[in-house]
Amino acid sequence: MQWMVWTLPTAMVFAGLALLLAGMAIWGHFSPPVARRGFLRIETDRGDRLYIGLISAAVVLAGWIAVTDLSMWLALACALAVAIVIGVWG
Amino acid sequence: MSEQSTAVAGGEAGTAATTKEAADAQAPVKPKNNRAWFLVLPVVVSVAFTAVIPLMTVVNFSVQDVFSPDDRIFVGLEWFRSVARDPEVRAAFVRTLIFSAQVLLLEIPLGVALAVAMPRRGVWVSVALVLVALPLLIPWNVVGTIWQIFARPDIGLGGWAINNVLGLDFNYTLDSTDAWITVLIMDVWHWTPLVALLAYAGLRSIPQPYFQAAQIDGASAWAVFRHIQLPRLRGVLTIAILLRFMDSFMIYTEPFVVTGGGPGNATSFLSILLSKIAVGQFDLGPAGAFSLLYFLFVQILCYVFFTVLTRSGR
Amino acid sequence: MARTTGRRLPWARTVFWLYAATLMLPILWMFGMSIRPNDDILGSFSLLPQRVTFENYTTFFTDSAWYSSYLNSIVYTSMNAVFSLIVALPAAYAFSRFRFAGDKHLFFWLLTNRMAPPAVFLLPFFQIYQAVGLFDTHLGVAIAHMLFNVPLAVWILEGFMSGIPREIDETAAIDGYSLPRFFVKIFLPMIRSAVGVTLFFCFMFSWVELLIARTITSVNAKPIAATMTRTVSAAGVDWGLLATAGVLTIIPGAIVIWFVRNYVAKGFALGRV
Repeated sequence: MQWMVWTLPTAMVFAGLALLLAGMAIWGHFSPPVARRGFLRIETDRGDRLYIGLISAAVVLAGWIAVTDLSMWLALACALAVAIVIGVWG
Repeated sequence: MSEQSTAVAGGEAGTAATTKEAADAQAPVKPKNNRAWFLVLPVVVSVAFTAVIPLMTVVNFSVQDVFSPDDRIFVGLEWFRSVARDPEVRAAFVRTLIFSAQVLLLEIPLGVALAVAMPRRGVWVSVALVLVALPLLIPWNVVGTIWQIFARPDIGLGGWAINNVLGLDFNYTLDSTDAWITVLIMDVWHWTPLVALLAYAGLRSIPQPYFQAAQIDGASAWAVFRHIQLPRLRGVLTIAILLRFMDSFMIYTEPFVVTGGGPGNATSFLSILLSKIAVGQFDLGPAGAFSLLYFLFVQILCYVFFTVLTRSGR
Repeated sequence: MARTTGRRLPWARTVFWLYAATLMLPILWMFGMSIRPNDDILGSFSLLPQRVTFENYTTFFTDSAWYSSYLNSIVYTSMNAVFSLIVALPAAYAFSRFRFAGDKHLFFWLLTNRMAPPAVFLLPFFQIYQAVGLFDTHLGVAIAHMLFNVPLAVWILEGFMSGIPREIDETAAIDGYSLPRFFVKIFLPMIRSAVGVTLFFCFMFSWVELLIARTITSVNAKPIAATMTRTVSAAGVDWGLLATAGVLTIIPGAIVIWFVRNYVAKGFALGRV
């Protein structure tokens, strides 16, 4: 695994993603997801909204780093806000 | 093979969607069975090895300056910052977008026109299908080779004709506009057949009574196209547009063979620039950050594609 | 059969055949190049070959750098097609017949791998295949190409399988068939055209791929496409030989095209048309 050049931050990100997936699987087992229509106007269940939320968060981060020198923590806050809004009302 | 059975075989591709819908309508709910995971496991394992582990490695590259596996520095998001602001990368991104847009504008109308003009009955159907499909089955680097030869002013028929018959000065190895036009025409040559075949499949799935009714009403050919054929092509054309957009957005082999990205940077599309940074200069960090931004964009396109596909199936 | 396919413009047929002829022109031109001696190619421009020679073909089949890389390509594409099919068959069946936790997302995830630019995977592939000792082997390229061919195979097969009514499965289960026996004895024969089409498309996409194959090979498994991009020498490009290699690389596709002509659109559209 030497060539995978792991670092602590990336390992934590992937561990977090794995936990998130596992959590979604367990949640789905006890209360199966229901598809509904939110402000995105397409039918989504919570797995879809998680995916759209994560992708949108990544877009926010990428856009932020491309145009401004403001702190990335601020960007992270915005990205999380976007992800939560999509996750809850999307 | 008799004429009748050829026609039936030709129609099969076009009506598959309809039979699928019919099958879904008969039994709307598939049984729920989590043991199906065992059937999917081999796929998950093989794709995890070929996609997930490499992607994780790319993420690791993107946040470090790697000299060797033992000698590396964590740099945070620096590579992302430099790649996202690199004028060369931005130029390549815009160039690729323009290319994809031009590809769609040329190939979709041309493909539909071709599908309408294609013979729909008789022995010539098969010949036409084979001829139209042939460019699609040529290896992409050979498509490049074909046009590398064909468009050259000294040895290629195309380049020679433009210079000596039309009297224009055309040389794709020296002039950026000529290089761009060559790559664009090559793509149109290569991929319009796909649009045509998709549209053709869509046309064949239109039920005959529509045409009979139009014939009784004495509708003109244009009216038939505008009000019967075109609306019915919506599904296949959406697929065609998305497929062509995504594939032209990751184009590599054909322009690499013909122009190598040049002259200058004229035809240096995203994939060409990325592989130059990755394999040519072996800059792991920037290549990693570049790859992830590229991948993010493709993910978004892909989700749109998937949503459209699964929703139109219902 | 009544004339019912709609009215057509009188010149539509003519325009179509003209287009088809134009489509063939560059291919024929390359073929023309391959049967000319190099002196004639560079010496003077002519529409038809002045002297016809097969010396380029002789060179191709006697120079091991050329014919061995051609064989390399055939070996790894065949391996890849078989692997992809074997892995994809049960998965496609699962997707077409059952609902299970995360099925939709898994199906989407497969699609993203088919759509991802191969350039993204270059660097890690280079590292991984060296680390596990698969660098420059046929097996290595075959496995690497599963990245996009397994998803392709699953999607195409699922498209075909969903067209087959589920009642057949249920009837077979009542008749006492176990799932594996049903799959091999009844289901596979029913979808044999799908299997053929899938094999063909896996073969083709592996055959046309250049970037990954070139990056993870050097000598022993070097693909024909990589050999072709390296024909440029100090003396210039050997156009005749390049054209010859091009003609020979088209042949596998040209041979099977008749059998898959009705499925080309379906294969490219991932079984969705």
